[in-house]
Amino acid sequence: MIYRGNRAAWAYIVARTKVMKSRLMKAEDFRKLLNMEFDEIVRYIGETEYKKEIDELGYKFTGPRLLDHALYANLARTYRKLIEVSFGASKFLITRYLEKWDVWNIINIIRGKMANVQPEVIEDVLVPAGERDLEFWKSLIVRDIEEIVKSFEGTPYYEPLSKVGSEDISKIEDELYKVYYRELLKLNPTDFAMKLFLDFIKMEIDIRNVKTLLRLKAEDATVEEIISCTIPGGYELTEEEIRKLAAMPIDEMIKSLEGYWFWDDVQIKGKSVATAEIEFDKVWINTISKRASNYPLSILPVLQYAVLKKVEVDNLRVLGWGKYYGLPNEEIERQMVIL
Amino acid sequence: MAEVQPTRMELIKLRRRIKMATRGHALLKMKRDGLIMEFRQLLEEAKEVIGGMVQKYEKAQSKLALAIAVDGIVAVRSIALSCCQMPPEFSMKRKNIMGVVVPVIKREPVRKKPTERGYGILSTSTRVDEAVEAYEELVDAVLEVAEIETTLRKLIEEIERTKRRVNALEYRVIPTMEELAKFISFKLEEMDRENIIRLKKLKMKKGKS
Repeated sequence: MIYRGNRAAWAYIVARTKVMKSRLMKAEDFRKLLNMEFDEIVRYIGETEYKKEIDELGYKFTGPRLLDHALYANLARTYRKLIEVSFGASKFLITRYLEKWDVWNIINIIRGKMANVQPEVIEDVLVPAGERDLEFWKSLIVRDIEEIVKSFEGTPYYEPLSKVGSEDISKIEDELYKVYYRELLKLNPTDFAMKLFLDFIKMEIDIRNVKTLLRLKAEDATVEEIISCTIPGGYELTEEEIRKLAAMPIDEMIKSLEGYWFWDDVQIKGKSVATAEIEFDKVWINTISKRASNYPLSILPVLQYAVLKKVEVDNLRVLGWGKYYGLPNEEIERQMVIL
Repeated sequence: MAEVQPTRMELIKLRRRIKMATRGHALLKMKRDGLIMEFRQLLEEAKEVIGGMVQKYEKAQSKLALAIAVDGIVAVRSIALSCCQMPPEFSMKRKNIMGVVVPVIKREPVRKKPTERGYGILSTSTRVDEAVEAYEELVDAVLEVAEIETTLRKLIEEIERTKRRVNALEYRVIPTMEELAKFISFKLEEMDRENIIRLKKLKMKKGKS
Protein backbone atom coordinates (compact mmCIF):
# COMPACT_ATOMS: atom_id res chain seq x y z
CA MET A 1 0.00 0.00 0.00
CA ILE A 2 1.32 3.41 -0.95
CA TYR A 3 0.69 6.48 1.13
CA ARG A 4 -1.68 8.74 -0.73
CA GLY A 5 -1.57 11.81 1.54
CA ASN A 6 0.14 15.10 0.70
CA ARG A 7 2.73 13.47 -1.54
CA ALA A 8 4.42 16.70 -2.67
CA ALA A 9 5.11 17.73 0.91
CA TRP A 10 6.96 14.48 1.52
CA ALA A 11 8.64 14.26 -1.87
CA TYR A 12 11.05 17.11 -1.11
CA ILE A 13 12.33 15.84 2.23
CA VAL A 14 12.44 12.23 0.99
CA ALA A 15 14.49 13.31 -2.05
CA ARG A 16 16.91 15.24 0.20
CA THR A 17 17.17 12.27 2.53
CA LYS A 18 17.74 9.91 -0.40
CA VAL A 19 20.77 11.96 -1.47
CA MET A 20 22.09 12.00 2.09
CA LYS A 21 21.46 8.26 2.38
CA SER A 22 23.46 7.58 -0.77
CA ARG A 23 26.49 9.10 0.98
CA LEU A 24 26.31 6.62 3.87
CA MET A 25 29.01 4.00 4.03
CA LYS A 26 28.22 0.58 2.60
CA ALA A 27 28.89 -2.81 4.15
CA GLU A 28 31.95 -3.28 1.89
CA ASP A 29 33.38 0.07 3.12
CA PHE A 30 33.20 -1.21 6.71
CA ARG A 31 34.83 -4.49 5.67
CA LYS A 32 37.60 -2.52 3.94
CA LEU A 33 38.06 -0.37 7.06
CA LEU A 34 38.27 -3.51 9.19
CA ASN A 35 41.55 -4.40 7.50
CA MET A 36 43.07 -0.97 8.14
CA GLU A 37 45.10 0.33 11.07
CA PHE A 38 43.73 3.05 13.37
CA ASP A 39 45.61 5.91 11.68
CA GLU A 40 44.52 4.72 8.25
CA ILE A 41 40.89 4.64 9.45
CA VAL A 42 41.12 8.24 10.73
CA ARG A 43 42.71 9.33 7.44
CA TYR A 44 40.02 7.52 5.44
CA ILE A 45 37.20 9.02 7.51
CA GLY A 46 38.88 12.44 7.29
CA GLU A 47 38.40 12.30 3.53
CA THR A 48 34.69 11.56 3.73
CA GLU A 49 31.61 13.35 5.12
CA TYR A 50 33.40 13.71 8.46
CA LYS A 51 36.27 15.89 7.14
CA LYS A 52 34.81 19.15 8.45
CA GLU A 53 34.36 17.86 12.00
CA ILE A 54 37.78 16.20 12.11
CA ASP A 55 39.42 19.45 10.95
CA GLU A 56 37.40 21.53 13.40
CA LEU A 57 38.08 19.38 16.44
CA GLY A 58 41.68 18.52 15.56
CA TYR A 59 43.01 21.35 17.73
CA LYS A 60 41.19 20.07 20.81
CA PHE A 61 41.39 16.27 20.64
CA THR A 62 43.73 13.65 19.26
CA GLY A 63 43.59 9.92 18.48
CA PRO A 64 40.36 8.00 19.08
CA ARG A 65 38.84 10.84 21.14
CA LEU A 66 39.08 13.08 18.10
CA LEU A 67 37.30 10.42 16.08
CA ASP A 68 34.65 9.96 18.78
CA HIS A 69 33.85 13.67 19.12
CA ALA A 70 34.00 14.23 15.36
CA LEU A 71 31.51 11.41 14.81
CA TYR A 72 29.09 12.80 17.37
CA ALA A 73 29.54 16.34 16.00
CA ASN A 74 28.78 15.09 12.49
CA LEU A 75 25.75 13.20 13.74
CA ALA A 76 24.50 16.37 15.45
CA ARG A 77 25.15 18.44 12.33
CA THR A 78 23.40 15.91 10.09
CA TYR A 79 20.35 15.75 12.34
CA ARG A 80 20.18 19.54 12.53
CA LYS A 81 20.39 19.65 8.74
CA LEU A 82 17.46 17.24 8.58
CA ILE A 83 15.45 19.62 10.76
CA GLU A 84 16.52 22.65 8.69
CA VAL A 85 15.68 21.20 5.26
CA SER A 86 12.31 19.85 6.35
CA PHE A 87 9.11 21.82 6.72
CA GLY A 88 5.53 21.38 7.79
CA ALA A 89 4.56 17.96 9.15
CA SER A 90 7.95 16.42 8.36
CA LYS A 91 9.80 19.14 10.32
CA PHE A 92 7.44 18.66 13.25
CA LEU A 93 7.87 14.87 13.33
CA ILE A 94 11.65 14.92 12.80
CA THR A 95 12.08 17.51 15.54
CA ARG A 96 9.93 15.51 17.92
CA TYR A 97 11.83 12.31 17.13
CA LEU A 98 15.25 13.93 17.57
CA GLU A 99 14.19 15.32 20.93
CA LYS A 100 15.73 12.14 22.39
CA TRP A 101 19.10 13.89 22.05
CA ASP A 102 17.76 16.71 24.20
CA VAL A 103 16.98 14.08 26.83
CA TRP A 104 20.53 12.73 26.44
CA ASN A 105 21.96 16.24 27.01
CA ILE A 106 19.73 16.93 30.03
CA ILE A 107 20.87 13.65 31.60
CA ASN A 108 24.53 14.41 30.98
CA ILE A 109 24.33 17.93 32.37
CA ILE A 110 22.55 16.73 35.53
CA ARG A 111 25.05 13.89 35.97
CA GLY A 112 27.97 16.28 35.53
CA LYS A 113 26.52 18.85 37.89
CA MET A 114 25.83 16.24 40.57
CA ALA A 115 29.41 14.97 40.31
CA ASN A 116 30.80 18.54 40.47
CA VAL A 117 32.47 18.21 37.10
CA GLN A 118 34.03 21.21 35.34
CA PRO A 119 31.71 22.86 32.74
CA GLU A 120 34.26 22.20 29.96
CA VAL A 121 34.16 18.47 30.72
CA ILE A 122 30.34 18.44 30.61
CA GLU A 123 30.44 20.39 27.34
CA ASP A 124 32.58 17.65 25.82
CA VAL A 125 29.87 15.05 26.38
CA LEU A 126 27.02 17.06 24.85
CA VAL A 127 25.49 16.11 21.51
CA PRO A 128 23.34 19.00 20.25
CA ALA A 129 21.46 16.83 17.78
CA GLY A 130 17.97 17.64 19.05
CA GLU A 131 15.69 20.63 18.90
CA ARG A 132 17.85 22.87 21.08
CA ASP A 133 21.26 24.07 19.90
CA LEU A 134 24.68 23.98 21.56
CA GLU A 135 24.39 27.58 22.79
CA PHE A 136 21.30 26.65 24.80
CA TRP A 137 23.10 23.70 26.42
CA LYS A 138 26.21 25.78 27.07
CA SER A 139 24.07 28.36 28.86
CA LEU A 140 22.70 25.60 31.10
CA ILE A 141 26.08 24.14 32.05
CA VAL A 142 27.15 27.27 33.94
CA ARG A 143 23.97 27.36 36.05
CA ASP A 144 23.28 25.37 39.20
CA ILE A 145 20.94 22.37 39.27
CA GLU A 146 17.88 24.26 40.57
CA GLU A 147 18.19 26.82 37.76
CA ILE A 148 18.66 24.08 35.16
CA VAL A 149 15.54 22.30 36.41
CA LYS A 150 13.63 25.59 36.45
CA SER A 151 14.55 26.28 32.83
CA PHE A 152 12.47 23.25 31.86
CA GLU A 153 9.41 24.53 33.67
CA GLY A 154 6.38 24.22 31.44
CA THR A 155 7.86 21.27 29.52
CA PRO A 156 6.90 17.62 30.16
CA TYR A 157 10.44 17.00 31.46
CA TYR A 158 9.95 19.34 34.40
CA GLU A 159 8.09 16.77 36.51
CA PRO A 160 10.87 14.11 36.60
CA LEU A 161 13.54 16.82 36.75
CA SER A 162 11.94 18.40 39.80
CA LYS A 163 12.77 15.18 41.69
CA VAL A 164 16.54 15.73 41.24
CA GLY A 165 18.12 15.62 44.67
CA SER A 166 15.23 13.82 46.30
CA GLU A 167 15.17 10.70 44.13
CA ASP A 168 17.73 8.33 42.68
CA ILE A 169 19.23 9.89 39.52
CA SER A 170 19.02 6.57 37.62
CA LYS A 171 15.23 6.53 38.09
CA ILE A 172 15.01 10.14 36.90
CA GLU A 173 17.06 9.25 33.80
CA ASP A 174 14.71 6.39 32.93
CA GLU A 175 11.72 8.60 33.69
CA LEU A 176 12.98 11.26 31.24
CA TYR A 177 13.10 8.69 28.42
CA LYS A 178 9.65 7.45 29.39
CA VAL A 179 8.35 11.03 29.25
CA TYR A 180 9.96 11.43 25.80
CA TYR A 181 8.15 8.37 24.43
CA ARG A 182 4.94 9.14 26.31
CA GLU A 183 4.80 12.60 24.73
CA LEU A 184 5.41 11.14 21.27
CA LEU A 185 2.65 8.60 21.76
CA LYS A 186 0.28 11.39 22.78
CA LEU A 187 0.30 12.61 19.17
CA ASN A 188 -3.05 12.08 17.54
CA PRO A 189 -2.94 9.71 14.53
CA THR A 190 -5.15 12.05 12.53
CA ASP A 191 -3.63 11.10 9.19
CA PHE A 192 -1.74 8.20 7.76
CA ALA A 193 1.65 9.96 8.07
CA MET A 194 1.13 10.31 11.78
CA LYS A 195 -0.01 6.71 12.08
CA LEU A 196 3.18 5.50 10.34
CA PHE A 197 5.24 7.67 12.65
CA LEU A 198 3.49 6.35 15.74
CA ASP A 199 3.92 2.74 14.59
CA PHE A 200 7.62 3.44 14.10
CA ILE A 201 7.89 4.84 17.62
CA LYS A 202 5.95 1.90 19.08
CA MET A 203 8.23 -0.55 17.30
CA GLU A 204 11.29 1.31 18.58
CA ILE A 205 9.82 1.01 22.08
CA ASP A 206 9.42 -2.75 21.54
CA ILE A 207 13.07 -3.07 20.53
CA ARG A 208 14.23 -1.08 23.55
CA ASN A 209 11.95 -3.07 25.85
CA VAL A 210 13.04 -6.47 24.58
CA LYS A 211 16.68 -5.45 25.07
CA THR A 212 15.94 -4.24 28.61
CA LEU A 213 14.00 -7.43 29.31
CA LEU A 214 16.90 -9.66 28.28
CA ARG A 215 19.48 -7.46 29.99
CA LEU A 216 17.69 -7.35 33.35
CA LYS A 217 16.52 -10.97 33.17
CA ALA A 218 20.16 -12.03 32.76
CA GLU A 219 20.89 -10.14 35.99
CA ASP A 220 18.04 -11.87 37.87
CA ALA A 221 16.05 -8.69 38.28
CA THR A 222 12.57 -8.96 39.72
CA VAL A 223 9.41 -8.48 37.65
CA GLU A 224 8.80 -5.08 39.27
CA GLU A 225 12.37 -3.94 38.59
CA ILE A 226 12.00 -4.93 34.94
CA ILE A 227 8.62 -3.23 34.62
CA SER A 228 10.00 -0.03 36.16
CA CYS A 229 12.73 0.08 33.49
CA THR A 230 10.54 -0.57 30.46
CA ILE A 231 8.70 1.99 28.36
CA PRO A 232 4.91 1.68 28.17
CA GLY A 233 3.13 1.80 24.83
CA GLY A 234 4.97 -0.73 22.68
CA TYR A 235 3.72 -2.09 19.35
CA GLU A 236 3.23 -5.66 20.55
CA LEU A 237 4.98 -5.68 23.91
CA THR A 238 2.38 -4.19 26.21
CA GLU A 239 2.98 -3.87 29.94
CA GLU A 240 0.91 -7.01 30.49
CA GLU A 241 3.00 -8.93 27.97
CA ILE A 242 6.25 -7.71 29.54
CA ARG A 243 5.01 -8.65 33.00
CA LYS A 244 4.13 -12.14 31.74
CA LEU A 245 7.53 -12.54 30.03
CA ALA A 246 9.48 -11.14 32.99
CA ALA A 247 7.92 -13.72 35.30
CA MET A 248 9.19 -16.62 33.16
CA PRO A 249 12.57 -18.35 33.49
CA ILE A 250 15.00 -16.92 30.90
CA ASP A 251 14.94 -19.97 28.54
CA GLU A 252 11.15 -20.05 28.53
CA MET A 253 11.06 -16.29 28.04
CA ILE A 254 13.35 -16.48 24.97
CA LYS A 255 11.10 -19.20 23.53
CA SER A 256 8.03 -17.06 24.15
CA LEU A 257 9.62 -14.13 22.28
CA GLU A 258 9.52 -16.17 19.07
CA GLY A 259 6.00 -15.09 18.16
CA TYR A 260 6.69 -11.33 18.18
CA TRP A 261 7.43 -9.19 15.10
CA PHE A 262 11.00 -8.47 16.22
CA TRP A 263 11.96 -12.11 16.50
CA ASP A 264 12.42 -12.77 12.79
CA ASP A 265 14.55 -15.89 13.33
CA VAL A 266 16.94 -14.18 15.72
CA GLN A 267 19.52 -16.62 17.06
CA ILE A 268 20.33 -15.55 20.61
CA LYS A 269 20.48 -18.84 22.48
CA GLY A 270 23.92 -19.32 24.01
CA LYS A 271 24.98 -15.82 22.97
CA SER A 272 25.71 -12.91 25.26
CA VAL A 273 23.06 -10.24 25.89
CA ALA A 274 25.29 -7.73 24.05
CA THR A 275 25.30 -9.93 20.94
CA ALA A 276 21.54 -10.39 21.22
CA GLU A 277 21.15 -6.59 21.32
CA ILE A 278 23.00 -6.33 18.00
CA GLU A 279 20.77 -9.04 16.51
CA PHE A 280 17.68 -7.06 17.50
CA ASP A 281 19.21 -3.89 16.06
CA LYS A 282 19.66 -5.71 12.74
CA VAL A 283 16.03 -6.85 12.81
CA TRP A 284 14.96 -3.29 13.58
CA ILE A 285 16.93 -1.84 10.66
CA ASN A 286 15.65 -4.49 8.27
CA THR A 287 12.07 -3.86 9.40
CA ILE A 288 12.25 -0.10 8.95
CA SER A 289 13.96 -0.55 5.57
CA LYS A 290 11.07 -2.75 4.42
CA ARG A 291 8.48 -0.36 5.78
CA ALA A 292 10.28 2.66 4.27
CA SER A 293 10.26 1.04 0.83
CA ASN A 294 6.58 0.14 1.27
CA TYR A 295 5.75 3.79 2.07
CA PRO A 296 8.33 5.76 0.05
CA LEU A 297 6.53 9.11 0.37
CA SER A 298 6.18 9.28 4.10
CA ILE A 299 8.20 10.06 7.22
CA LEU A 300 9.62 6.52 7.24
CA PRO A 301 12.50 7.04 4.72
CA VAL A 302 13.59 10.07 6.78
CA LEU A 303 13.47 8.14 10.03
CA GLN A 304 15.24 5.23 8.34
CA TYR A 305 18.03 7.61 7.35
CA ALA A 306 18.23 8.98 10.92
CA VAL A 307 18.61 5.42 12.25
CA LEU A 308 21.10 4.39 9.56
CA LYS A 309 23.22 7.49 10.20
CA LYS A 310 23.36 6.60 13.90
CA VAL A 311 24.34 3.03 12.99
CA GLU A 312 27.11 4.32 10.71
CA VAL A 313 28.47 6.56 13.46
CA ASP A 314 28.29 3.66 15.94
CA ASN A 315 30.07 1.31 13.53
CA LEU A 316 32.86 3.80 12.84
CA ARG A 317 33.31 4.37 16.55
CA VAL A 318 33.51 0.62 17.20
CA LEU A 319 36.08 0.37 14.42
CA GLY A 320 38.16 3.28 15.66
CA TRP A 321 38.24 2.40 19.33
CA GLY A 322 38.45 -1.32 18.62
CA LYS A 323 41.53 -0.81 16.44
CA TYR A 324 43.01 1.65 18.94
CA TYR A 325 42.69 -0.88 21.77
CA GLY A 326 43.97 -3.68 19.54
CA LEU A 327 40.78 -5.75 19.68
CA PRO A 328 40.73 -8.64 17.21
CA ASN A 329 38.93 -8.02 13.91
CA GLU A 330 36.34 -10.73 14.65
CA GLU A 331 35.44 -9.06 17.97
CA ILE A 332 35.14 -5.64 16.30
CA GLU A 333 32.96 -7.09 13.55
CA ARG A 334 30.78 -8.84 16.14
CA GLN A 335 30.06 -5.48 17.76
CA MET A 336 29.15 -3.78 14.49
CA VAL A 337 25.75 -3.68 12.86
CA ILE A 338 26.58 -4.61 9.27
CA LEU A 339 23.73 -5.68 7.04
CA MET B 1 83.74 -6.19 82.58
CA ALA B 2 85.89 -4.32 85.01
CA GLU B 3 82.82 -2.65 86.51
CA VAL B 4 81.28 -5.95 87.56
CA GLN B 5 81.83 -7.01 91.14
CA PRO B 6 83.17 -10.56 91.02
CA THR B 7 80.96 -11.83 93.79
CA ARG B 8 79.04 -15.07 94.17
CA MET B 9 75.78 -13.07 94.34
CA GLU B 10 76.60 -11.35 91.06
CA LEU B 11 77.38 -14.72 89.49
CA ILE B 12 74.05 -16.16 90.63
CA LYS B 13 72.22 -13.11 89.22
CA LEU B 14 74.13 -13.34 85.99
CA ARG B 15 73.42 -17.06 85.58
CA ARG B 16 69.73 -16.36 86.12
CA ARG B 17 69.85 -13.69 83.42
CA ILE B 18 71.69 -16.03 81.05
CA LYS B 19 69.06 -18.70 81.65
CA MET B 20 66.29 -16.19 80.97
CA ALA B 21 68.03 -14.81 77.88
CA THR B 22 68.55 -18.34 76.51
CA ARG B 23 64.90 -19.14 77.09
CA GLY B 24 63.91 -15.80 75.46
CA HIS B 25 66.23 -16.54 72.58
CA ALA B 26 64.62 -19.94 72.03
CA LEU B 27 61.15 -18.37 72.21
CA LEU B 28 62.07 -15.59 69.80
CA LYS B 29 63.57 -18.15 67.43
CA MET B 30 60.33 -20.09 67.58
CA LYS B 31 58.37 -16.87 66.97
CA ARG B 32 60.61 -15.97 64.04
CA ASP B 33 60.18 -19.45 62.52
CA GLY B 34 56.45 -19.28 63.13
CA LEU B 35 56.22 -15.87 61.48
CA ILE B 36 58.27 -17.07 58.52
CA MET B 37 55.96 -20.07 58.12
CA GLU B 38 52.91 -17.80 58.33
CA PHE B 39 54.54 -15.42 55.86
CA ARG B 40 55.22 -18.24 53.37
CA GLN B 41 51.63 -19.44 53.56
CA LEU B 42 50.36 -15.90 53.07
CA LEU B 43 52.82 -15.35 50.25
CA GLU B 44 51.30 -18.23 48.29
CA GLU B 45 47.84 -16.82 48.96
CA ALA B 46 49.04 -13.33 47.98
CA LYS B 47 50.47 -14.65 44.70
CA GLU B 48 47.08 -16.14 43.87
CA VAL B 49 45.15 -13.02 44.91
CA ILE B 50 47.50 -10.65 43.03
CA GLY B 51 47.41 -12.92 39.97
CA GLY B 52 43.61 -12.86 40.16
CA MET B 53 43.62 -9.08 40.47
CA VAL B 54 45.86 -8.72 37.40
CA GLN B 55 43.52 -10.99 35.43
CA LYS B 56 40.51 -9.01 36.59
CA TYR B 57 42.27 -5.77 35.67
CA GLU B 58 42.97 -7.05 32.16
CA LYS B 59 39.37 -8.24 31.82
CA ALA B 60 38.06 -4.88 33.09
CA GLN B 61 40.31 -3.03 30.65
CA SER B 62 39.10 -5.06 27.68
CA LYS B 63 35.46 -4.68 28.76
CA LEU B 64 35.96 -0.93 29.14
CA ALA B 65 37.60 -0.82 25.72
CA LEU B 66 34.57 -2.61 24.29
CA ALA B 67 32.14 -0.30 26.09
CA ILE B 68 34.02 2.74 24.79
CA ALA B 69 34.15 1.21 21.31
CA VAL B 70 30.43 0.49 21.22
CA ASP B 71 28.96 3.35 23.26
CA GLY B 72 31.71 5.91 22.73
CA ILE B 73 33.92 7.81 25.15
CA VAL B 74 31.24 10.48 25.41
CA ALA B 75 28.66 8.03 26.76
CA VAL B 76 31.08 6.08 28.96
CA ARG B 77 32.48 9.27 30.45
CA SER B 78 29.00 10.52 31.13
CA ILE B 79 28.06 7.23 32.83
CA ALA B 80 31.28 7.34 34.86
CA LEU B 81 30.12 10.71 36.19
CA SER B 82 27.08 9.05 37.75
CA CYS B 83 28.98 5.98 39.00
CA CYS B 84 31.72 8.00 40.73
CA GLN B 85 29.19 9.30 43.23
CA MET B 86 29.12 5.92 44.95
CA PRO B 87 32.55 4.93 46.32
CA PRO B 88 32.95 1.33 47.61
CA GLU B 89 32.09 0.86 51.27
CA PHE B 90 34.33 -1.05 53.67
CA SER B 91 35.26 -1.12 57.34
CA MET B 92 38.58 -1.96 58.97
CA LYS B 93 39.03 -4.51 61.76
CA ARG B 94 42.12 -5.93 63.43
CA LYS B 95 43.47 -9.45 63.73
CA ASN B 96 46.41 -10.76 65.79
CA ILE B 97 48.91 -13.10 64.12
CA MET B 98 51.58 -14.13 66.72
CA GLY B 99 51.54 -10.70 68.31
CA VAL B 100 51.42 -8.83 65.01
CA VAL B 101 48.31 -6.69 64.59
CA VAL B 102 47.17 -6.91 60.97
CA PRO B 103 44.17 -5.27 59.29
CA VAL B 104 41.07 -7.15 58.20
CA ILE B 105 39.06 -5.28 55.58
CA LYS B 106 35.37 -6.04 55.95
CA ARG B 107 34.05 -5.39 52.47
CA GLU B 108 30.51 -4.61 51.58
CA PRO B 109 29.77 -6.45 48.34
CA VAL B 110 30.76 -4.03 45.60
CA ARG B 111 28.77 -6.03 43.04
CA LYS B 112 25.47 -4.28 42.42
CA LYS B 113 22.45 -4.91 40.24
CA PRO B 114 22.29 -2.73 37.10
CA THR B 115 19.29 -0.96 38.63
CA GLU B 116 21.36 0.02 41.70
CA ARG B 117 24.41 1.39 39.91
CA GLY B 118 23.34 4.99 39.68
CA TYR B 119 22.80 5.18 35.94
CA GLY B 120 19.61 4.74 34.00
CA ILE B 121 18.94 1.47 32.19
CA LEU B 122 17.30 3.15 29.24
CA SER B 123 20.24 5.46 28.57
CA THR B 124 22.93 2.76 28.69
CA SER B 125 23.78 -0.56 27.03
CA THR B 126 24.79 -4.04 28.14
CA ARG B 127 28.46 -3.34 27.32
CA VAL B 128 28.42 -0.64 29.97
CA ASP B 129 26.94 -3.15 32.45
CA GLU B 130 29.68 -5.62 31.56
CA ALA B 131 32.40 -2.99 32.00
CA VAL B 132 30.96 -1.76 35.32
CA GLU B 133 30.61 -5.36 36.54
CA ALA B 134 34.23 -6.10 35.60
CA TYR B 135 35.38 -3.00 37.49
CA GLU B 136 33.25 -3.92 40.51
CA GLU B 137 35.05 -7.27 40.60
CA LEU B 138 38.36 -5.44 40.24
CA VAL B 139 37.59 -3.14 43.19
CA ASP B 140 36.81 -6.24 45.27
CA ALA B 141 40.12 -7.78 44.24
CA VAL B 142 42.04 -4.54 44.96
CA LEU B 143 40.61 -4.45 48.50
CA GLU B 144 41.55 -8.11 49.00
CA VAL B 145 45.08 -7.43 47.75
CA ALA B 146 45.33 -4.34 49.97
CA GLU B 147 44.46 -6.47 53.01
CA ILE B 148 46.90 -9.27 52.22
CA GLU B 149 49.69 -6.89 51.17
CA THR B 150 49.44 -4.90 54.40
CA THR B 151 49.47 -8.15 56.39
CA LEU B 152 52.58 -9.31 54.50
CA ARG B 153 54.32 -5.97 55.04
CA LYS B 154 53.57 -6.03 58.76
CA LEU B 155 54.76 -9.63 59.00
CA ILE B 156 58.01 -8.77 57.20
CA GLU B 157 58.62 -5.88 59.60
CA GLU B 158 57.97 -8.17 62.58
CA ILE B 159 60.18 -10.93 61.17
CA GLU B 160 62.97 -8.40 60.68
CA ARG B 161 62.54 -7.09 64.22
CA THR B 162 62.45 -10.60 65.72
CA LYS B 163 65.46 -11.63 63.65
CA ARG B 164 67.43 -8.64 64.97
CA ARG B 165 66.47 -9.57 68.54
CA VAL B 166 67.41 -13.24 68.03
CA ASN B 167 70.75 -12.26 66.52
CA ALA B 168 71.43 -9.72 69.26
CA LEU B 169 70.72 -12.34 71.91
CA GLU B 170 72.62 -15.09 70.09
CA TYR B 171 75.72 -13.16 69.08
CA ARG B 172 75.93 -10.31 71.56
CA VAL B 173 73.88 -10.44 74.77
CA ILE B 174 74.24 -14.13 75.72
CA PRO B 175 77.94 -14.45 74.76
CA THR B 176 78.76 -11.26 76.69
CA MET B 177 76.91 -12.49 79.76
CA GLU B 178 78.56 -15.91 79.49
CA GLU B 179 81.93 -14.22 79.15
CA LEU B 180 81.14 -12.21 82.27
CA ALA B 181 79.98 -15.26 84.19
CA LYS B 182 83.15 -17.06 83.14
CA PHE B 183 85.19 -14.09 84.30
CA ILE B 184 83.39 -13.92 87.64
CA SER B 185 83.70 -17.66 88.28
CA PHE B 186 87.39 -17.48 87.29
CA LYS B 187 87.85 -14.54 89.65
CA LEU B 188 86.03 -16.39 92.43
CA GLU B 189 88.16 -19.50 91.88
CA GLU B 190 91.23 -17.27 91.94
CA MET B 191 90.07 -15.71 95.17
CA ASP B 192 89.43 -19.20 96.56
CA ARG B 193 92.90 -20.29 95.57
CA GLU B 194 94.40 -17.10 97.08
CA ASN B 195 92.55 -17.79 100.32
CA ILE B 196 93.79 -21.41 100.44
CA ILE B 197 97.38 -20.29 99.86
CA ARG B 198 96.96 -17.52 102.44
CA LEU B 199 95.61 -20.06 104.92
CA LYS B 200 98.39 -22.47 104.10
CA LYS B 201 101.01 -19.73 104.62
CA LEU B 202 99.41 -18.76 107.92
CA LYS B 203 99.45 -22.40 108.98
CA MET B 204 103.14 -22.73 108.00
CA LYS B 205 104.06 -19.54 109.95
CA LYS B 206 102.14 -20.87 112.91
CA GLY B 207 104.00 -24.21 112.66
CA LYS B 208 107.48 -22.51 112.54
CA SER B 209 106.72 -20.31 115.47
